[in-house]
Amino acid sequence: MTIIQILFWLLSALVLLSAIMVVINRHPVYSVIWLIITFFGISGHYILLNAQFLAVVNIIVYAGAIMVLFLFVIMLMNLNKDMEPQKSKWLKLVGAIACGCLLLVLIAALKDIDINNQIAETNTGNIGLIENLGTVLFTKYVIPFEISSILFLSAMIGAVVIGKKD
Amino acid sequence: MNALIISAVFGVIMMFTGIFVKQKPVTRNIAIAGVALLLLVNILEMSGIDFFKVHTAGFMLFDRFALLFNSVAFGSTLIYFILSAPDMEKVGHYYADYFALIFFILCGVVLVASFQSLLILFLGIEIISIPLYILTGSNKRNLISNEASLKYFLMGAFSTGIMLMGITLLYGATGTFDTQFMNIETEGTSALVIAGMLLLFFSMAFKVSAVPFHFWTPDVYDGCPTVFTSFMATVVKSAAFVGFIRLFYDAFGSIHDDWKLVAAIITALTLLVGNITAVFQQSVKRMLAYSSISQAGFMLLGLLALNATSKEGIILYATAYSLATIGIFAILLKMNDHSFESFNGFARQQPLLAGVNVIFLLSLAGIPLTAGFLAKFYMLKATLESGDFLWLVILAVIMAAVSVYYYFRLIQAMYFKEGDGNAIEVSPGFKLMLVIVAACLIVLGVFPNLLLNWLYF
Amino acid sequence: MPINYYIILSLTLFVIGIVGVLTRRNTIIVFMCIEIMLNAVNLLLVAFSKMHHINQVATNPTAGTEAQLFVFFIMVVAAAEVSVGLAIIVMLFRNTHSIDVNFLNRLKH
Repeated sequence: MTIIQILFWLLSALVLLSAIMVVINRHPVYSVIWLIITFFGISGHYILLNAQFLAVVNIIVYAGAIMVLFLFVIMLMNLNKDMEPQKSKWLKLVGAIACGCLLLVLIAALKDIDINNQIAETNTGNIGLIENLGTVLFTKYVIPFEISSILFLSAMIGAVVIGKKD
Repeated sequence: MNALIISAVFGVIMMFTGIFVKQKPVTRNIAIAGVALLLLVNILEMSGIDFFKVHTAGFMLFDRFALLFNSVAFGSTLIYFILSAPDMEKVGHYYADYFALIFFILCGVVLVASFQSLLILFLGIEIISIPLYILTGSNKRNLISNEASLKYFLMGAFSTGIMLMGITLLYGATGTFDTQFMNIETEGTSALVIAGMLLLFFSMAFKVSAVPFHFWTPDVYDGCPTVFTSFMATVVKSAAFVGFIRLFYDAFGSIHDDWKLVAAIITALTLLVGNITAVFQQSVKRMLAYSSISQAGFMLLGLLALNATSKEGIILYATAYSLATIGIFAILLKMNDHSFESFNGFARQQPLLAGVNVIFLLSLAGIPLTAGFLAKFYMLKATLESGDFLWLVILAVIMAAVSVYYYFRLIQAMYFKEGDGNAIEVSPGFKLMLVIVAACLIVLGVFPNLLLNWLYF
Repeated sequence: MPINYYIILSLTLFVIGIVGVLTRRNTIIVFMCIEIMLNAVNLLLVAFSKMHHINQVATNPTAGTEAQLFVFFIMVVAAAEVSVGLAIIVMLFRNTHSIDVNFLNRLKH
């Protein structure tokens, strides 16, 4: 096993474990913390895939901004105690089994596809570096980039309209 | 491109209007002028006059279909503003911001109607959805509105996640996001493509509220302030359909046989559940919500058929359905409550309004000489042309007959039931506008080519 | 690493997110599970991007860039969505003092 393989398995285990912890934890604050760990694990995967820019943005935007927003809301509304009424056990079981079946079906379908023996290159290739991404983003992708500004404007108006006290 | 840029600019203008203009009628008139301008520049673009030469780098294609649908959407929005904009005042304090959000939604409509890249489809759907979550929850004191907003939000975000997974699997198989260059082979299609296509299909079915992904629709439409339900159920819904059809026409046209059956089953379920549940509703608003599901079933026939007739049909259907529904909602907004009983004796009080309402209902039910009839006819014709779905056509005709029952229930309440009703006051301009809309429906029902010729010339 | 490892990892993560959405009642946790779904998508996109890059690098040295930019746009949209979603949750909490999804049944008739 090379070092990359070891890292891949370690990070994968970390990501899956912490994602499961997010789902089964009864305490919203702990869920947020586990989710942040998930994001760090995914960022690790990005670095393995040599997508440094996304790794950094993932930490800054997701773990930094979005999760802090979540924590703020939880603290602000004083939700940090376990007050969630539980769904019935059966319903949970049915949900989990149904999703397990979905996963099985998807994996069975995608098990022997033609791109299976292809490799996602790790540790090399510089398309994930900021120079290349920036060039393409501000030349070919400038229209979607401008369009996303409309999205932000509407989200901004929305947050004000919804969030402000009358 | 004209319309996209100008609608974004008008969104910003409306934001500033909220600060500088205190009189609500002025705000309203600016918005109406804005949509009228949008309609104008869009029609100019159809005649070849493009103000902004922007190189879209293959992300968007403003073909006749997209431009014509944009015109329909802008025209419906214009009518909607003229009829219902005064009622938005009652919803909350942010009058100008609601207009700004609607202008941003129109940007999203343009994107969804003209995308060529899955990235633009994704951005367009999000630009439509995010302002809608807010408009749904804009009645902040009303718990039902809040809950509808949260429900819509969770469902929307969830289906976006599913859609993104579909896009990703598709990218894995084809290596591009561009629907023109996907080149999906008819024989031996990769499992990745099939899985991605199904996920995309399900998420789009969520957005257009096809059964069995419709469960959010009645609650959200019911909880949303009525004035915004009107917009949501018409312009936004037809835009989602146009995006749906464009996506499957461009990207998955070559593997039509693989998804035909799934689409047929979903269409049949949508027709059945939508129409039969609508029969049992006690409130007109909820009945209209279910009727929008059943009309979605007819529009899905256009997706199933996927030929030139279905493109004509979807444009006609979007027009007929949007105009009629906006008209009914405009009248409903004037009523005190939304039950069938409140329409008792309506014909004696307001003979003119009752008359135009009958035309709208007849058009929705698909009675000949109205645009709704021709729209349904085009859809059925397209399905027959594509072959082997005779059973679905028969089912659709039966369900159209069922739909007559619940639309006529309203007509019966208006004409044949005694009731003090509720005295409503409307301005002459409002009446005139409704008459114009009804006249449009009848004219289109006789001469559909007035609209459809724009697709070709 | 072989691409199917990434496919299985992402799909598992995605399904964990779906399980959370379907089985939890706390709105904030449901929302976090949706974020997990989006991250699963992001991870798979980056893996596919590197796969297409290594396949096509001879003809197109920047092949695969578009998927990484798509991830960037997904993050942009997710951030906007979170701001609106949390505003809605706060608004609902102000009115009901609860964020239980099952309270959403008031709409049913």
